[in-house]
Formats: sequence, C-alpha cells, structure tokens
Amino acid sequence: MDKVIKLGQDIVLLWKNYGSAYLGGVWNTLALATVATLIGCIIGLVCGILNTIPYTKQDPLPKRFLLKLIRIIIRAYVELFRGTPMVLQAVFIYYGLPYFSGNTMRFESMWMAAILIVSINTGAYMAESVRGGIISIDPGQTEGAKAIGMTHVQTMTSVILPQALRNIMPQIGNNFIINVKDTSVMFIIGFTEFFAFHRYITGVNNMYFPSAAIEMIGYLTLTLVFSFLLRWVEKKMDGSDSYELVQTDALTMSAGTYSHPDRGTPFDERSKEHRERIKMGLKNRNGSMRGGR
Amino acid sequence: MGETILQINHLSKSFGTHEVLKDIDFTVQKGDVTSIIGASGSGKSTLLRCINLLETPSSGEILYHGDNVVGRGVNAPAYRSHVGMVFQSFNLFSNMIVLENCIVGQVKVLKRSREEARQHAMHYLEKVGMAPYINAKPRQISGGQKQRVAIARALAMDPEVLLFDEPTSALDPEMVGEVLSVMQELAREGMTMLVVTHEMAFARDVSTHVVYMSDGVICEQGSPEEVFGNPQKESTKEFLARFRSN
Repeated sequence: MDKVIKLGQDIVLLWKNYGSAYLGGVWNTLALATVATLIGCIIGLVCGILNTIPYTKQDPLPKRFLLKLIRIIIRAYVELFRGTPMVLQAVFIYYGLPYFSGNTMRFESMWMAAILIVSINTGAYMAESVRGGIISIDPGQTEGAKAIGMTHVQTMTSVILPQALRNIMPQIGNNFIINVKDTSVMFIIGFTEFFAFHRYITGVNNMYFPSAAIEMIGYLTLTLVFSFLLRWVEKKMDGSDSYELVQTDALTMSAGTYSHPDRGTPFDERSKEHRERIKMGLKNRNGSMRGGR
Repeated sequence: MGETILQINHLSKSFGTHEVLKDIDFTVQKGDVTSIIGASGSGKSTLLRCINLLETPSSGEILYHGDNVVGRGVNAPAYRSHVGMVFQSFNLFSNMIVLENCIVGQVKVLKRSREEARQHAMHYLEKVGMAPYINAKPRQISGGQKQRVAIARALAMDPEVLLFDEPTSALDPEMVGEVLSVMQELAREGMTMLVVTHEMAFARDVSTHVVYMSDGVICEQGSPEEVFGNPQKESTKEFLARFRSN
C-alpha cells in the first residue's frame, strides 16, 4: 500500500514538473498518428482500387500489361513495408537519403520524415485491407450495377466503395490505434512524441517507473477514447434501424373520414356508458365473425 | 410481328472445356414475352447472362437492332442500359434506400436530373406497390418486396427488353404470387420480356413464346399451346410430365 501511495506521489511530482512536456508529447503523437493514418488510408485506397480493376482476355494487350504491372508493383510495395520493422525503415530512409545523395538532400523537418515513414507503412497494411474490403462485397452488387448500364468507375464510386469502406472501418480504426502506439519508435530519428519525453525526462532524473506509469495511463487513455469514438462513427454509418412508411395509398388516406353511426367523430363528447356499449358491441361483432368462419 | 430487338446467332459459351451453350439461335421481337424453361443446368441462366454480356460468349453474335454487341470495341455499359435485368438474388444496392436504388442508374447512366429521376422512380415504385417503402433499406424488406423494387429499378431505366433470371426461385412460396402478378401486369402492357423460370403456369398462361432448353441447346420452341399442349420431342414430354401431377 505504501508503495502505491509513493507511486501516486511520484506521479504527481513528475506531472507538476513535466506535465506540459508530457502533454506536448501526447499532442505530437496524436498529430503524427492522425495525419499518417489519413495519408496511409489514401495510399491504401488507391492501391486497393488499382489492384481490383478487372481485366479479361478480350482486353487489348497494353491494358492487360499495364494492369499486371501495377499489381506487381503494389505487391512488392506491400511485401517490403509489411515485412520489415518500422523502426528499421525509419533509420533506413532517414539516414539513407543523405547517404545516397552525398548530403545534398536530407529531411528538412523531423515531421516530414516521420509522417512519410508512418504513412507508407500504414498504406502497405491498408492496401490489403481495402483490397479485401472490395472483394468481400457480394458479386451480385457489381452485377446489379452493371445490369443498369453502369461503368466500372460508376459501379465503384456509387455501389462498391461505400460498402467496402464501411466494412474496413474496423481496420482503419485498428491501424489508427496501432499508429498511436507504434509512432513511439520514431524517437530513433529524434522525433519528440509521447514516449520520447519519457526518455528525456528519465534522463534528467531516475524516476523510471513513475514516468512509465504515466506513459501507460496516457497511451491507454488515448486508445480507449479513440476506440470508443470509432465505434460511434461505425454506428452512425450504419444509419437508423427503422424506417418510416410513406403513405401514398389513396385508400388509407380516407381512413380518418370513415363514418359509422356508432363511431361518431374523435371530437364527440360521450358518456362513459356510451363508450362501454360501443366497446361491447365491437367485441360481439368480432366474436361472431370469427365464429362464422 | 413487330420489329426485331435481339437476334442471337450461333451463340456458344464454354467454361473451360465444359460447353454450356451450343449453337443457340433465336430472336426476340418487340412485345414478345418469351419463357425459357428447362431443367437446372440446361444453360438457361447462362443464355440470359450472355445476352446481357455478364458472361462473355465464346463464339457467335448477338445483334441488337442489327448491331453486333459481342467482341471488342463494343460499349457494353451503353448496351446494358437498354436491356434491363432482374436477378434471382435481387441484387439491390444494400448501401442505398429503396428510392435511391431506383434513382441512381437514371442519374449516373441516363444523366437525368435528380427530380426527373425521382418522379420516374416513384411512378414505377407505385406500379409495383412499393411506394410506401421508399425509405427502407434493402435489408429491412422481404424477398418479394425486394424483387418488386428490383423490377421497378430495371423499369426506371426505360429498357427495351427486360430479362428475368429465375425471379421467383429465391422466394418463399407465399411471396411468389406478388412478383408474378407484377410481371403479368407488365406483360399485359406490352413490355418485351425474356423470362427464365420454373413457374410452368406463368410460362403457359402469360408468355407468347416458350423455349425449352436441354443440355445447352434449344430443344423445342413455339407458342405455349404448342409446347405445353403438344410437345414434339421426347425430352420435352419427359420434362413437362414432372409438372403434370401439380
């Protein structure tokens, strides 16, 4: 128990001294994860769409060649970036560029480098998710669209992609949450995100564990908030579970004007006895009808 | 007889080494209601899908008003917009409400204004009795209702000929009637229709032509009286005998 209280005190102490540093780190992490996930999704979407352009033996050779080439390039990209650790990719690209260009080219800002690396990584994962999302849509949807004369582009934009995007929403969420956590490896190129501040702060004092506790709580809070938000967005996308009947039937329009001696109008004032009598009458009538059948 | 809309010459289709359609010849004229009957696997649906170019024929030609639509350089989407199709599995766009299902093709393909498309769609939705459900999503309505919307969607494109691929086969028995009566009404109004069906009563009573297919060839064709009343081929007799008891 003492230890827990001690931990609480240490956390408060750390937060008092370095709270704004931690918050700055959180901000950088969030900004990097959001921007990189967005760009990554766009890369993935483009790859997924290019990857699923159909071609048949009847198509002219240049078209078939081009589409095959595109598929090979995308495949290579996906395999390369999915198959190597992001921390290594960061080092490779960040130091590789000046190395190969003889120091004439380098990343002007840390942000540019970090966003580039995380984006192309996310893109590699999203490319496969989007492709999966597109091919998981019932082929009947494509046929229905084709049958009313839609072109491939029209079919994709009006019918397939809206459904595919809904289906890959959980994947986008997944990638975003992975990015919130995995951007922590960007400290390797000196990008100051949330985790980098832990390293910086624990370099000044030696409160490793309290600082790590702050980081744990911070990351968990971020990811929980976002998974909640994502669920909410998905629900919104699904729309309402119910729908309204639109009464355009001429017969039902006259329902309110139907008149019967026993019925009167809804505005009539009647005695309680009278209402009872009507109720009894209706019951009897229903009863006799059932009996008659 | 009216003008010829579709003429199919020597149409063949193979999946790998399996030849599903063998040298099919037949014509569809304006106002015809042609029923294609036959056992499962006889190539009926494949024929219909070839006509709408959802399957690419292996050889032969399909003439639409005299122009061949098979082969390279043909604008398949433009052709398909004149030939409506109703599927066994409805294939309504599940991301759109009923009304939008009937509007989207008119706006995107025929370039109609949204308002014009909406009125046109409403006209046909009323005709099939689905006007009260325009705000429903496909997953919220029954099979028979879906199929009626699918018919309205196809009609809203003002097709010259409407293809039905077993439109009642995926329906519960009590829903078959509502779809068939819509189709009967269309036939009565002079819509040109090509119907692949297992509903023999519909083929006999509603259609002007009956085509019996067996093993990828057209075995026998003629008026309903001829095919049902006095079948010539042995296989036709055998096939029809299965429905006699009903």
